Amino acid sequence: MNGITLSPQQLAVAQASLSCRLFLEGVAGTGKTTAGVARMHYLLKSEIPADRLLVLTPQRTLAQPYYDALRSPDTPGGGVVTVTTIGGLARRMIDLFWPLVAEEVGFQRPADRPVFLTLETAQYYMARIVTPLIEEEGYFDATTIDRNRLYSQILDNLNKAAVVGFPPGEIGERLKGAWMGDLVQARIYDQAQACALRFRRYCLAHNLLDFSLQIAVFAEHLWEEPLCRDHLTETYTHLIFDNVEEDTPVAHDIVYSWLGTVESGLVIFDHGAGYRSFLGADPVSGHMLQDLCDEQRIFVESFVMSGSVTALGAAFDRVLRPSVPDGETAPPIGDAAPLAPAPTADSVTGNNGIRATLHFGNRRFHHQMLDWVVAEIQALVRDKDAFPGDIVVLAPFLTDSLRFSLAHRLHRVGIPVRSHRPSRALRDEPATQTLLTLAALAHPEWEILPSRYDVTDALRHAIHELDLVRAQLLAQIVYRPHRGQPELTPFDEIQPDMQQRITFVFGGRYEALRTWLAAYRTRQAAPLDHFLSRLFGEVLSQPGFGFHRDVDCGLVAAMLVESVQKFRWISADLADNRRPLGREYLEMVRQGVIAAQYLAPWQEEEQDAVLLAPAYTFLLSNRPVAYQFWLDVGGLGWWERLYQPLTHPFVLSRRWPTGKVWTDADEHALRQRGLQRLVLGLVRRCRVRVYLGLSDYSEQGFEQEGPLLGAVQQILRRFQSERGGV
Amino acid sequence: MLPESFSFSQASLQDFVACPRRFQLRYLLRLRWPAAEVEPIEEHERRMMMGRTFHQMVQQQHLGVPESRIERGASDPDLLRWWQNYCVYRPVTSFSGDAASASARSEVTLSATIARYRLVAMYDLIVVEPGKRAVILDWKTSDTRTSEAILRERMQTRIYPYLLVQVGAALNCGQLIRPEMVEMIYWFPAFPDAPARLPYDADHFSRDGAFLEQLIERIADMEEDDFCLTSDLRQCEYCIYRSFCDRGIAAGNLDDVTAAYELQEGDVEVDIDFEQIAEIEF
Repeated sequence: MNGITLSPQQLAVAQASLSCRLFLEGVAGTGKTTAGVARMHYLLKSEIPADRLLVLTPQRTLAQPYYDALRSPDTPGGGVVTVTTIGGLARRMIDLFWPLVAEEVGFQRPADRPVFLTLETAQYYMARIVTPLIEEEGYFDATTIDRNRLYSQILDNLNKAAVVGFPPGEIGERLKGAWMGDLVQARIYDQAQACALRFRRYCLAHNLLDFSLQIAVFAEHLWEEPLCRDHLTETYTHLIFDNVEEDTPVAHDIVYSWLGTVESGLVIFDHGAGYRSFLGADPVSGHMLQDLCDEQRIFVESFVMSGSVTALGAAFDRVLRPSVPDGETAPPIGDAAPLAPAPTADSVTGNNGIRATLHFGNRRFHHQMLDWVVAEIQALVRDKDAFPGDIVVLAPFLTDSLRFSLAHRLHRVGIPVRSHRPSRALRDEPATQTLLTLAALAHPEWEILPSRYDVTDALRHAIHELDLVRAQLLAQIVYRPHRGQPELTPFDEIQPDMQQRITFVFGGRYEALRTWLAAYRTRQAAPLDHFLSRLFGEVLSQPGFGFHRDVDCGLVAAMLVESVQKFRWISADLADNRRPLGREYLEMVRQGVIAAQYLAPWQEEEQDAVLLAPAYTFLLSNRPVAYQFWLDVGGLGWWERLYQPLTHPFVLSRRWPTGKVWTDADEHALRQRGLQRLVLGLVRRCRVRVYLGLSDYSEQGFEQEGPLLGAVQQILRRFQSERGGV
Repeated sequence: MLPESFSFSQASLQDFVACPRRFQLRYLLRLRWPAAEVEPIEEHERRMMMGRTFHQMVQQQHLGVPESRIERGASDPDLLRWWQNYCVYRPVTSFSGDAASASARSEVTLSATIARYRLVAMYDLIVVEPGKRAVILDWKTSDTRTSEAILRERMQTRIYPYLLVQVGAALNCGQLIRPEMVEMIYWFPAFPDAPARLPYDADHFSRDGAFLEQLIERIADMEEDDFCLTSDLRQCEYCIYRSFCDRGIAAGNLDDVTAAYELQEGDVEVDIDFEQIAEIEF
């Protein structure tokens, strides 16, 4: 298998009987997924037809090792292994078996095709439903969060109902049952409930399926429909389910009943994980899949951590492990089984090992800490020949300003850097703004009047090499809004001295753009995505224009066209559309509902580059590195969770009894457990050394003394006292 | 230059044959370039969507969904006509016979390693009568009936039967499929009584194998500058990269598309990234 030598334990899993259902567990870094990939290869080499094999993971990034293996020329020819998620399976089955269940589910147009919503189009419909309630009936007037976060939390509640498996009508009761504060919050929960049900009714009336409805239709209807279930269980007779601890109870329920029918199964469980609990992950129900398996294997030996990193992990585990006195409630979300016992610090390399593994940079101000981080990275790359790709810089939340500060500093010293997402949302890209401004100019009937600043910017980006001064001058002269409608006047109507200042080269290009727009205005308006496609192909990407051979502009334009197209497909046939769709799209962009996401990779990532990422994102990429830098170790962000006034991921989980009050003690235990889980997860993905970036004051200027800092201090105090004792 | 994990398909090899530069831009550099492929875009999109829906309706029927319920989803009159033609002509049974031992599989994907790279093919439907026949059925939803001579030259016609013989044993109870067992049939729902039937044999298999191996090796050995532009400028009229290559302004007209410049079917992917829910930032 691509030159990887498997351990005897891995080999035993890979080559287990072809009729065996195995439950494999262990902490991160013990080679479980490698064994899973080897198992897949073994099945294929054993002439199990590839199309009988299903590999499930909770999200696509976790399936990468399987994809990589399947693309290898060594993979036997024949059919193709299906690698997907339960969500992916749900979508495919709904598409195929829609005519069988549409009516039964309650869709009011069962003869029409289903319309699958993306996260942003779901937000769009939620905005349509909730906005009148906010503006006319005073919904959520006691909360101060951004509207888009409000919409996403209502959607999140629906998603939780679907993936946990309770009716969406119970959301409000469950949230209120756990609440013991003022009545205002209870009213907010009632309003969130009402919005969720209105949204669901709207979806059923218009054949719209957001993520929650896709999961509910699959789990509650299609999985019970013999034609669909037989199709799945007869097609896939060998199952590998990796990272089950990150998947949801409903996914576990489905696989629980599926495992009984397969010829072979391998279920892989990562101890101490469950990082996606925010999205409904439930390690407890995942661990129950063990009941259906014939054998259980536990991997203990880490292939990642050095001895001293193992000792560091043990030290963190000791100081962060929540203590639950007898008779008290256990932490609300926990592992099904205790974390696999890690070696004690002293038993591996002793405290000296920890000291060699943990490096500090304690500075007064935040920017000084960043300088220290960059200097250390520079030293690693220049002096110790470390690969930039083997270094990751982590923070609990990576703000845009923090990312920019770090990336800028690293670029300055010539170290390549990559981030978990592009620096700008689609709507903020200059190419997007240029295209949308030109769209507004081409559609006066939309009655959208771009500002002179927007027109200047659009001209500057649309016309190759047009500088800001000339663009401003040109816009000032030619952009003449008339009776509330945008108008561009011809270049040859400009006074000759101004023409010369702008130059005839730029004037010619401007004129080509203007006449193209003017010609378009004489015809019947096209759908916005078709308009953008033509504008891009016939003008902006032609020689002399700003997008010519610019691959980044091409990518941004392609994503915009795709976003508009999806928007048109989901909303074109709704009877209550009174405004042109193009205008509606621009309006939604302006409000930040649409084109605000980072849905696709912006560009090919440079792999050998320092990664800047939020800690949880790094954990879910499941890729160990040699060196980790943890920023703002004194910050509370490592311990706190997001402010979510309309939802509660743990109260809405299957682990929380309906009606049980969520207390401060529960909240504290949850945070403590979360910190332990996070820190151990990071350490288990580190091969050589952890660098702790500390500053007395945070990025915002507040003093920092969070629990992670407390844990580090405890470890150091213990180290010093033991050293003093020697 | 090719990454080891690169996979070839009939579409990518057809693009290479049409224009090596297009292959490079689309599959190696993965350049997104949202210019129109053909005009009018609206009509092209309608036809592509219809093609996709028709394929799905046939798959539904094959999986056992009642035909009456499937038909309710055919809102476009042309699509309804295609579907009714399908129900009247029953291409699966009429071309594969009624042998009780025959088994049909829809939307099958096969892949094999050729010259160190994966070659992948997605079949609309394969009917195998073990040890006797293996019929590949492909639904061609274009509004023209392409001639056999042109179809014979298409990459799809060379790759699909070849891969089925090469790696399709699992569909034939584990026994190798002999080339003579294979027939490739293009069925046109708009021209239901004029299918294109292309038998296969050992000669074809041997020639196709050598051809594909050479072609893939040639591509694998090419340097970045070797991917030249086509000399056939008509190809550029139906290529999204025409402005990138300075090969024209407006897209060609859909009505002027001839079989030689046939557009790739099924490119319209209505697929929405439903897994993005998992990608929310914590």
